[in-house]
Amino acid sequence: MKSSFPIFLAVFVALGASFGGFVIGAISQLGTAKQTEILNGSGVYPVQRTGDATLGLQVYRANGCAACHTTDVRQDGVTCDVVLTGMGKNLRAVEKVLGNFNTNELPKIILHNATKEAADAVSDQITTAGGQVETHIIATGADISRGWGIRRSVAMDFLWDYPVQLGSLRAGPDLANVGARLGNLNWQLQHLYAPQSVIKNSAMPPFHFLFEVRKLNGATLSPDALQLPLTQQPNEFLPPPGCVVIPTEDAKNLVAYLLSLRADVPLYEAPFTPQQTSTNSAAEKK
Amino acid sequence: MNDEISNPKPQTSTALTVPIWIIALMLTLIFLGGVYFDHHSGWFNPKVYAPYKNAEELAFYQPLSGPGQLLAMGKSKYEQNCGTCHGTDGMGKPGQAPPLAGSEWVNAKDFKRLAQIPLDGLNGTIHVKGQEWNASMAAMAAGLSDADLAGVLTYIRSSWGNKAEPVTADGVKSVRAAVAGKPAINGETQLKTISE
Repeated sequence: MKSSFPIFLAVFVALGASFGGFVIGAISQLGTAKQTEILNGSGVYPVQRTGDATLGLQVYRANGCAACHTTDVRQDGVTCDVVLTGMGKNLRAVEKVLGNFNTNELPKIILHNATKEAADAVSDQITTAGGQVETHIIATGADISRGWGIRRSVAMDFLWDYPVQLGSLRAGPDLANVGARLGNLNWQLQHLYAPQSVIKNSAMPPFHFLFEVRKLNGATLSPDALQLPLTQQPNEFLPPPGCVVIPTEDAKNLVAYLLSLRADVPLYEAPFTPQQTSTNSAAEKK
Repeated sequence: MNDEISNPKPQTSTALTVPIWIIALMLTLIFLGGVYFDHHSGWFNPKVYAPYKNAEELAFYQPLSGPGQLLAMGKSKYEQNCGTCHGTDGMGKPGQAPPLAGSEWVNAKDFKRLAQIPLDGLNGTIHVKGQEWNASMAAMAAGLSDADLAGVLTYIRSSWGNKAEPVTADGVKSVRAAVAGKPAINGETQLKTISE
C-alpha cells in the first residue's frame, strides 16, 4: 500500500468538499435564519404554527402527501405595473404625458408588464408633471398564473417546518399557499373525506380512515360533524342514512396545517406589491 | 523502473510538454466559469433567489411606492447615516450618542425641535430620559433631501416603541429654511427656545 496516503487524501478531499458544500455552506447561508419583518407591512413572518397545525405536519408526513403535492411555487420573472392614482393639480401636464382620458377611472393602470427601468422612467415623467403614481411589483411564472401562489417560495416559508415537506412530484396542485387559496375548513375536510365530491375529476384517493361514520341515533349533532354535502350532486359520497361523518383528531390537525400554509406576504427576498382590490388577473383565475 | 536505472537512456524533454491549446482551453473555460458564477450565483447571498441575479437587482426591485414607502426609505437612510452612533436598535451609544427609543425629544408632539438637530447640528448639554449627555453632533442631514429626512424622522418616531406623528417633506422644508445659515444649536437651553 505505497499509495495509501494519496488515496486517503483523495477520499478526504472528496468527502470534505461535499460536507463543506452541502452542510457547512448551507448552515452558514441559512442556519441563522429567523423571523423577518413583512415587507412594507407590520408584523413578522412566518409566525409559529399553532399546536394542532404542528401536529398536522406530522399527519401530512405520515400519509405521504408530499409524494403527490409540492409546497414550492416557482417564479420565472418579475414585471411592473405603473398605476396612476391621482392627477395632481396640473391636469394638463399629466394629460400631455398620457393623452386624454376619463379622470374618473382612477386608479388606472397606465403601464402593464413593464421592466423596472421602463416603469421608473414613466413614473418619473408623471411625478414631474404633478401626478401621483404607484409602481406595483408583480411576480410572474407558470405556477403563479395557475393561481398557486403570489410569489415564489423561499427558505423563510419553511422556518418552522421539521421535516420540510417540499415534495418533488406534482400529481396534485402545489400547496404552498393553499390556506389562502382554499380557506374553508369544511371544504378542506370534505375534500379529504371524498375528493371527487368537490373536484369531479380529482385523482386524489379518499382518506376515509381519517374520519368516523357514526350513527346519530337521535343524539345531538356534534359541532365537528361534516356538513355534507357542500354540493347537491352527486349523492354517492353521502354516508348511510341516519349517519354523520366526524373527523378524527388527525383530520382536524391535518386541515389546521393545510390552512396554515399561507405564503402570501411580500418578503425582501421575494418582493411584490399586495393588491387590495384584486386587479391581478392571475389571482382571479382558478 | 529498475531497467531504466541499469540502462539509462539519454533524457528528452518531449514527455513533459502539454499542448499549449489545452492550457489555453482550460484557462478560457475557467474564465467563462468565473463570469457565469459572478452573474448567476448571487455570491451565496441567502436573500437572492431566481429570477434575481444578485443583491443589487433584488434591491432595485423592492417596491417602494404605496403604503410604507416613507418608512422603508427612512429605515435605510437612518441605518446609513444615523445607525453608527444611535444604533440600528435606537438605543444609542453610551457616552457618545443618546438613545432615540423612548426619548422625549424624538416623541415630542411637534417635530420642529427634533428636525432642527440633524439639520443644524447640536453641541453642549442635553438631557435624555433623565440622563445628561454632552452632545457634539454635526449637521448630519445637510446632505439629505427633505423627503429623505422626513422618512428618517418618521421612522425614528414610529420605531422601537416610539409612537409620534409622521413628518412630511414640506414640514422638513420649512425647518430647513428657518435654520439656513445658522450655527449649530448650543445645548438644550437653546433648543428649547425654538417654538414648538
